[in-house]
Amino acid sequence: MAENQLPLDALRAAEKIRKADVVIGIPSYNNARTIGHVTRAACAGLAKYFPDLTGVIVNSDGGSKDGTAQAVVSAGMEDANLLLLSTPLTGVHRLSFPYHGIPGKGSAFRLIFQMAERLEARACAVVDSDLRSITPEWFDLLLRPVLFAGYDFVAPYYHRHKYDGTITNSIVYPLTRALYGHRVRQPIGGEFGVSARLLSRYLSREDWETDIARYGIDIWMTTIALAEGFRVCQSFLGAKLHDAKDPGADLSAMLHQVVGSVFLLMQEYEPVWRNRSGSEAVELFGFRFDVGLDPIEVNLDRMLNAFRHGCEELGEVWSIALQPSTFSEIRKLAEQAHPGATSFHIDDDLWTRVVLDFACAHRKARLGRGHLLRSLTPLYLARVASFVIETTSLLSAQVEQKIEELCLCFERMKPYLIAHWDAEPAPAAEKPVPKKSGVVERANLEV
Amino acid sequence: MIETMQQVLEGVLARLKYQATTYLPSLVAALIILLGAYIAALLARWVLNRIFKGIAVDRFLRRTGLAFMLDRSGRLRATRLVSESVYWLILLGGFLTGLSVFNTDLTTQITQSFVFLLPKLVVAGLILLAGVWLSQFLGRSTLVWAVNEGVPSPRKLAGAVRVAIMFVAVVVAADQLNFARSVFLAAFIILMGGAVFAASLALGLGGRDSARRYFQEQSEAKEERGERSLWNHL
Repeated sequence: MAENQLPLDALRAAEKIRKADVVIGIPSYNNARTIGHVTRAACAGLAKYFPDLTGVIVNSDGGSKDGTAQAVVSAGMEDANLLLLSTPLTGVHRLSFPYHGIPGKGSAFRLIFQMAERLEARACAVVDSDLRSITPEWFDLLLRPVLFAGYDFVAPYYHRHKYDGTITNSIVYPLTRALYGHRVRQPIGGEFGVSARLLSRYLSREDWETDIARYGIDIWMTTIALAEGFRVCQSFLGAKLHDAKDPGADLSAMLHQVVGSVFLLMQEYEPVWRNRSGSEAVELFGFRFDVGLDPIEVNLDRMLNAFRHGCEELGEVWSIALQPSTFSEIRKLAEQAHPGATSFHIDDDLWTRVVLDFACAHRKARLGRGHLLRSLTPLYLARVASFVIETTSLLSAQVEQKIEELCLCFERMKPYLIAHWDAEPAPAAEKPVPKKSGVVERANLEV
Repeated sequence: MIETMQQVLEGVLARLKYQATTYLPSLVAALIILLGAYIAALLARWVLNRIFKGIAVDRFLRRTGLAFMLDRSGRLRATRLVSESVYWLILLGGFLTGLSVFNTDLTTQITQSFVFLLPKLVVAGLILLAGVWLSQFLGRSTLVWAVNEGVPSPRKLAGAVRVAIMFVAVVVAADQLNFARSVFLAAFIILMGGAVFAASLALGLGGRDSARRYFQEQSEAKEERGERSLWNHL
């Protein structure tokens, strides 16, 4: 696909529809089971909350073979039994196109944004296709701040299980908040509302063929909105319940793409974050209520084993990536990481230094960025294991307090980041960690 | 007796005089050329350090990891690389020119051999450099992958990858230099063949069941993956 050029079938559809007020995008890949529900919710949301606006639902598909496209096109709100106060002026168009380019969520979003721009939409909302807890209200909450309150970017705010979204809780949220000074709780949530102005900005960028085309898209969208001064708010959507995580999805690839995108954007927006300190709350819309959440199983032993295995083997990479003092503390921790450990703990200060050291090493490119980012996986698993041990008996409000403490630690450590950002680190001494017997199992991917 | 000694001494002095008149001017000329080359090399390095920036080369060195491979501190810059290369090339040119002043069979032969061998040496050096870089890169890739996948002995595996790649690089470099060609090639074929044969035997005799189970699990996991979303959230 050429730059900013729609595929032919999408172009024809856009020419036929000509103009729309609102575009709702649903990226998908083999989601026939759930996408019908998401599409019906979108149709109902548009009919109920925006009856006088023209809406188009665009499914950007990655080549599904399970009838996802048919599920979108055939889904309607005929069976929704909605009580509508106003009759919608126009029906909702439902379109499904395969996107081109690098397979991934970002490429799917690109097609949706191109379509929205082509239709001159005033607002665009994107939602995941595997959501089970989505309701028509979500679209009101994602679109209304853009359409009627002048916001450019609406981030989601959910209740999630305390062990769900650990990349968000342990890396992306604290780091984004400390860097850009705004408390967007779910920067890689997956559901967003975007204004026409911000859409144009996204499409004008030239980094679509990077990790942005994959899992990096969410943090990319949020960071651009925050760093470039667009008006940002959050909407409370309730619970986020979705299909079980793909067991085959490669955790280190996910980390690579998400964290790599955060680090790359850090380099681009260095002048923005260098002089910011502390953080401020971001407007939150929607009525907050408590919800029941699906339980999440974690396998602590596997995570601890993965960490220990990493410590034994990855010394040559970590000694380059980490500051000598951080590396030495991590090596000491490896001795506590044995199966069944209940006292294993990575404190906030050490974890913050690990993340910031990796960010600095990524900037200096002292070793391949792919190697660097993938080598973060065992450390991340150790942090998750520590978090799980620490919060086993805590309620969600107390867990949130723990995350808040981590965020404050990241904010406090910003001078450390600035000090190491340009400095050339001395290579840490590398000594092998004594091996323990036992085969290391593959880390649990459910977190 | 005294006369004989006198004749011997006169002979020695005559030989010394002959050698001095024959070789001393050449030696002085060679030293002057070498000194000139040294000054020219210093001057070229000084000028290049000031005028040559090579930002794109710096970026290439940093991105490929060559900067850290060639210099552990990672401070290697294109400017230094180019100026040092030019410095040593001028010195080498001066040395060869100095040698040619003597105009003897030996010096001519040395100069000719060196000039003939230089391009091959450069190419072989580049092959070895590429081999070192590739072995480091792929070794590290193997290491990180093996750790994340829980494969036993990642460092040994990574070491094996590095050794294999370096071995290939040495074989190619030796071939380029025409040095013990057949020995290296035979060693390479024997080692690679042996490794493949050993792996086949190990898999066939020791791990038939494990291999079958592994491939079966992979196939099942692939089928299951196809039915699930790739975008479940983090």
